[in-house]
Amino acid sequence: MRRAGAGRRITPGVLIAVALGLGAAVLVALQAGRGGVLQAGDDGAAVAGRVATGPARASENLVDRIGAMWSAAARVQQLERENRELQTWRELAERLAERNRRYEALLRMPVNSFGEGADIERSIAAQLVLDSGGPFTRTLVANAGAEHGVRVGFVALNENGLVGRVVSVGRRTSRVLMLDDYTSRIPVLGESSRVRAVLAGQATRPPELISQPYQVQAPRLDFIVGAQDLREGERIITSGDGGLFPRGIPVGVAQGGRDGQWRVSLSAAQRPIDFVRLVPFVGLEAPEQTLTADAGPPPGVSSSVAVVRREVMTAPPTAPTPAPRPRIVLAPRTDGAAQPPAPPAQIQPEPAPSGPPQ
Amino acid sequence: MSWRAPSGGVLRAFGLALAVASVVLPALPLGPLFAQPPLPLAVLWAAYGWAAEDEISWTAPVVLAALGLLHDQLAGGPYGLFVALYLSAYLAGRVAAVLMSAPNLISLWGGFIATALATVGVAWLLAPLGLGRNAPLTPYAETVTVTAILFPLVRPLYMQGQSRQQIRART
Repeated sequence: MRRAGAGRRITPGVLIAVALGLGAAVLVALQAGRGGVLQAGDDGAAVAGRVATGPARASENLVDRIGAMWSAAARVQQLERENRELQTWRELAERLAERNRRYEALLRMPVNSFGEGADIERSIAAQLVLDSGGPFTRTLVANAGAEHGVRVGFVALNENGLVGRVVSVGRRTSRVLMLDDYTSRIPVLGESSRVRAVLAGQATRPPELISQPYQVQAPRLDFIVGAQDLREGERIITSGDGGLFPRGIPVGVAQGGRDGQWRVSLSAAQRPIDFVRLVPFVGLEAPEQTLTADAGPPPGVSSSVAVVRREVMTAPPTAPTPAPRPRIVLAPRTDGAAQPPAPPAQIQPEPAPSGPPQ
Repeated sequence: MSWRAPSGGVLRAFGLALAVASVVLPALPLGPLFAQPPLPLAVLWAAYGWAAEDEISWTAPVVLAALGLLHDQLAGGPYGLFVALYLSAYLAGRVAAVLMSAPNLISLWGGFIATALATVGVAWLLAPLGLGRNAPLTPYAETVTVTAILFPLVRPLYMQGQSRQQIRART
């Protein structure tokens, strides 16, 4: 039988519980407003957690690695395939870079390399896609044709100089007659000596052309006027005579042969001709072609000039003038305001030059 | 491992490919490799060899005419010039095959030289008609010369054996 009050004993468990409870309460009271302890606990917990879960993660990576080993062969094949594709793209990029470099070189052509009067704004850059395939003719085919605005007569040149002239045009291609074709005849002049000549394509290949890096041959100079003044190494440019080519396009360098024949080492032969600019050129019409029959001073304008006479300037003694040209002579008039319109022009044939061209 | 000589069909295919290449490659802007004339004109080898090998075949002249048209197109015309040159080589080859009773390398070579010279004569006649009287003949003559010099090296591609006519003549 228990005595009264003898059963009210505090067990150790209760004491521990109370102590812990109080300690918790104190702890809560102490860390109120400060998270450092909690953060420190988290850090510690994280370290513990990493240590605890490390083997699990390690085994997970191991599984992945083992799985990757199984698919290594397929991965290698994929990488090889990607490598081949990248190589293809690299080659394409290099080709495009080279093409871009060539286009830039073409676009950087100085204005004076086009000659005087060339319509640079409407020039067309084209790539040469076919070379001359036969032993008889010397032509090139460019990948620009009528659809691109190319017309027969366009001047073909590159950054080195004159290449030739467009002689036929298709829808998307055009054929360029090169300067060394046996039918090519270009009026040229020496840049410093002003000696005029005709650059004639070669029908035969001179031996010295074997040293030429490319197929372009050295045309000869015919009908040289003042050959004694032509200098070795002198730059040859187009003279513009005849109206087919602008004046001042670089053609090449004069070279005297052992046989006394002057040839031109073409500037275009300095490197392979791959890109060209096709430049339209509309030559200025001769004054006698544009002169109308009733030309004269405007009405109401008085002039003290009794006789208005225009005639074609005769060619200088050094220039060849093969064909006679008509001479236009206007009738005399005394007062432009009071007089009726001038009578039709009288066209008289001009006599041929006395000396034949050389 | 023994080496087996390629069959006649394979050699013939190589010969045709070489003939086509000799027409097409100089027309492509491939740089200095094919840009420095004179290159041999393999179609002349083909015309000569096919004329001796297949007298009764109609495909050889048709193929030669097609190659001639292709060459004319690539060279910028006039159409028909190379057709005439190649077909004249074929005809000259036929004549040479008939004349040769006992063909060997020397006589075959001589026959080809005669055939090549015949094409030069045809070019001398026709080129001024199509290209003007100042048409250059020297580059073609140089090309034909190189072609004739190299003929012994490529003869197996175009002439595997004796012609049927010669075989018939012997039997």
